[in-house]
Amino acid sequence: MFSIIAKSLKTGLLTETNPFGTHPSFGFPVIDFARCTSCEECARSCPTGAIATATPAPGLKTLSLSYAACIQCRECVTGCPEQVVGVSTEVEIAAYSREQLTQTASFDIDPTTGRSTFSKVDVLPGLSLRESAARLRERIRGRLGRSLHVRQVDAGSCNACELEIAATTNPLYDMERFGIHLVASPRHADVLLVTGPVTRNMEIALRRTYEAAPEPRVVVAVGACGCSGGIFGEGTYAAVGGVDRVVPVDVYIPGCPPRPQAILNGLLVAMGVREARIGSEPGR
Amino acid sequence: MTSTSATVSTALGVTEWAIRERRPGELVLETDAAALPALADRAVLHLNGRLMSLFASDERSITGRFLVHHVWFLPGVRTFLHISAPVDPAAPSYPSIAAKYPAANWFEREVMDFFGLAPEGHPNPTRVALHDDWPDGAWALRMDFPYDRAVPRVPGDFHPFRPVTGEGVFQVPVGPVHAGIIEPGHFRFGVAGEPVLYLQLRLFYVHKGIEKRFEQLPWRHGLFLAESISGDTAVGHALAYAHAIERLADVMVPPRARALRVILLELERMYNHTADIGALATDVAFTVPASRAQALREGLVRLQDQLFGTRLLRGTIALGGVKCDLSPQGCDVLRTHLHVFEKEFDDLITLLIDSGTFTDRVDGTGILTNQAARDLGIVGIAARASGVDADLRRDHPHDAYEGLPFEVPVEDGGDVRARLMVRAREVEQSLLILHQVLDAMSDAPLVAQLPDRLPARSSALGWVEAWRGPCTHWVATGDRGEIIRVKVTDPSFLNWPGLVHAVPGNIIPDFPVINKSFNLSYSGNDR
Repeated sequence: MFSIIAKSLKTGLLTETNPFGTHPSFGFPVIDFARCTSCEECARSCPTGAIATATPAPGLKTLSLSYAACIQCRECVTGCPEQVVGVSTEVEIAAYSREQLTQTASFDIDPTTGRSTFSKVDVLPGLSLRESAARLRERIRGRLGRSLHVRQVDAGSCNACELEIAATTNPLYDMERFGIHLVASPRHADVLLVTGPVTRNMEIALRRTYEAAPEPRVVVAVGACGCSGGIFGEGTYAAVGGVDRVVPVDVYIPGCPPRPQAILNGLLVAMGVREARIGSEPGR
Repeated sequence: MTSTSATVSTALGVTEWAIRERRPGELVLETDAAALPALADRAVLHLNGRLMSLFASDERSITGRFLVHHVWFLPGVRTFLHISAPVDPAAPSYPSIAAKYPAANWFEREVMDFFGLAPEGHPNPTRVALHDDWPDGAWALRMDFPYDRAVPRVPGDFHPFRPVTGEGVFQVPVGPVHAGIIEPGHFRFGVAGEPVLYLQLRLFYVHKGIEKRFEQLPWRHGLFLAESISGDTAVGHALAYAHAIERLADVMVPPRARALRVILLELERMYNHTADIGALATDVAFTVPASRAQALREGLVRLQDQLFGTRLLRGTIALGGVKCDLSPQGCDVLRTHLHVFEKEFDDLITLLIDSGTFTDRVDGTGILTNQAARDLGIVGIAARASGVDADLRRDHPHDAYEGLPFEVPVEDGGDVRARLMVRAREVEQSLLILHQVLDAMSDAPLVAQLPDRLPARSSALGWVEAWRGPCTHWVATGDRGEIIRVKVTDPSFLNWPGLVHAVPGNIIPDFPVINKSFNLSYSGNDR
C-alpha cells in the first residue's frame, strides 16, 4: 500500500495543460496548386484515390485532394517530380461534410502542346464550415451543455483508431477534464464515435446502435476508413464504406489514424465548443 | 539437393526429388490431395511440425484447378514446409486433417466459406467466416468473384447457438458492440451461476475483404493495406508482406535496413506489451499501475513520433528496406529513453506482482494447459506462457535476428499471470536486443532496388515473429507478375480457439482479464 502511494506521489501530475500544444512532425499533404503542372504522378502514387484527376470538359482538367481518404502515407510527397506537394503539421482537422475535406483546382490544357496551366482553386458547392457549424449548434441547441457522453463503435476498423481513442483517456491527454466521458451503452450516449469502413457484418449492428442512442444523437466518423472507406474502398463485397453510407454523420475526423489531439478536437467540435478547421487557411 | 530436403523427404517418406527448396528456409512439395493427411501425420510425428497456415488458391484460369496449401513449420530443421495439392473444380473437395489436428479446424472451414472447397471428414463442417445472411454458392475469394459485388442479404433468423439445458443454466450474450473501446465480436457464455460452462465465439464482424483487396491493388500499394490488417501490428504485417515480396523478387535487404527493422519490431513489441500490462491492471481495477503503464506506453509512442514521424510506426517499412533512418543523435535519444523506461517498467512490474489484490486475480485464472496449447497449435506469447518454447526470431530468424543473443522467455503456468510474465520478460529482452542492435549499426543504404515487375507465376512466403506471434504472408503472382493471391495469417486466427479453452471453469467477471491476457486481434483474425 505504501509503495503505491509513494509511486503516485513521486509521479506527480502528468496531464498536459494544453493537449493541443504538441507539434507533430507530419499532418496532411498540401498541394501548391499554383506551381502544379497536373502531371498526375501524385494521383498515380496515391493508394486510396485521395488524389484524383478528371477532365470535365475539353481543354479543362481538375485535380482534387481529399483528406477524407488520405492515409498520410506520404507517397504523393515523394512521388511529385515538381516537389509541389508539401506536408503541413496541422493535425487537428475536422469537418462537417466529406466535401469540406476536399480541395479541387482547375487547370487549362493547351490544345496544341497539351501542357496544362493552373487557373483557379475551385469553390465547391455545399455549406461552408461556418454555416455547417451554425447548423450543428442549432441541432444540439446547447442540450449537450459542457458534458458529453460518448459511445465508441468499431464498425470495421483495423484497431489503430481505437488505440488512439483509448490514448485520449490516458493521463497525458486526460479527455475527461473536458467533460467528455466514454460510456458503455448507446442508451447513455450523446455521441457515437464510429470507426472503420462499415463492414457488411457490422452494418446492422451500427444501425441498431444508432437507433438505440437518444436524440440529439451526434455521429462522429473517425479515420480515413470512417470518413471514406480508406484503403479498403467503398461498395465492396465485404464493406459498405464510409460511416455516412449507413448513418448520418455530423463531424468527420480524418487521418490514419487521427492523433489523439485530433480526436479530442473533433469531439469538441461535436459539442459545439470548437469550430471545425480543415487547415490553417480553409480557403472556403 | 540440400541436406535439409533429404532429411525432410526421408521423414515424410517421399522421393527426394519431390521436395524442392524454393527459397532458403522454404521447402515445397506438390502432391495429390489424397496424400495430405498422411503427410501431415509424418510432418507432426517425425519433424514436430506445427501448422502455421492452411488455405486455398484459385488457379483455374492458369492450370484449370484449385490448390489447397498446408504450411508447416519444422523447428528441428529450421524450415517451412509448403505442401500444395490440386483440387478438381468438378469435384471440389479434399481430405480434412482437422479431426486429428485441431489447428486446421478454422482454416478448413474458411477455405469452404471463401472457395467452396469441402473438407471431407471435418468434424464440424459449418461456416466460420461467413455470417448467416450470406447466400450459399457465393465464394468471395474465387477469382471470378468481383471485389465490388454487393451480395444481397439472405433474410432469416439469428445464428443457431449451441443450446444450454438444465436447472439454473443459462446463456449470456455479449457483443458485437462491446462496452469498452475494443473491436467487435460476439461471445456467448453458457453459465451455471457465475462459473462459465463453455464459451462460443462468433467473429468476422470486421471482415473487410483484405485478401481480395490485395488482388486489386498494385503490389507496391499492398504494403499500406498490410499496415492496416491489424492496427497494433503495423510493422509485423508490413514486414511479413515485404519479406514475401523481397523473396519473390530475389532482393537482398541492406544490413542497416535489417537492423532498423529489428528496432521497429521490438519497439512495437514494447509499446503493445506495456499497454497490455496496463490493461490487465485496468481490468482488475488497480488504477495506479494502470495509469503508470498508460503513461509509459504514451512515452514510447511519442518517442516513435519524434524519431520516425509516426506514432504507431505506420509508413516505416519499405519494400526492400525501410523508409526511416536513425541519426547518431536519434540513437542517443532512443538509448536515453530506454534507460529511463527500463527503471520505470521494473517499478511497474514490482508494483503489480507485489500486490496481493492483483496476484489474487491473475494467479490460476484462465489456464491454457500445455497439452491444449500444443494440440490447438497455439502460437506466440500465449503459447510461450503455456510452456511451448517457440519463437521464429530464434527458430527461423529474419532480418538482423540471426546470430543475435537473446532469450525466449517461457512460463509454465498457462494462466493470466504467466501471460503477463512472458510479456514483462520479453520487454527486458527487447531492451537487450535494442541496445545490441543500436551498438552495431552499419552504414549502408536503407533500401534495395526492386524490379518494376515481379516474376510471373511465382510465389513466396514471408514470415515475422511480431509481438503477438508469427504473422505469415503467402504471395502468388500470375502470368504478368501481378498478384493473384495473398494469404494473410495473423497469430490471432490460431489463438482464438485457445481462449475458448482457457475460459470454462472461470467466473464471468474474470473473462475480461483472461481475454485481455491473450489480447487477440479481431481485425487480424477477420481480415
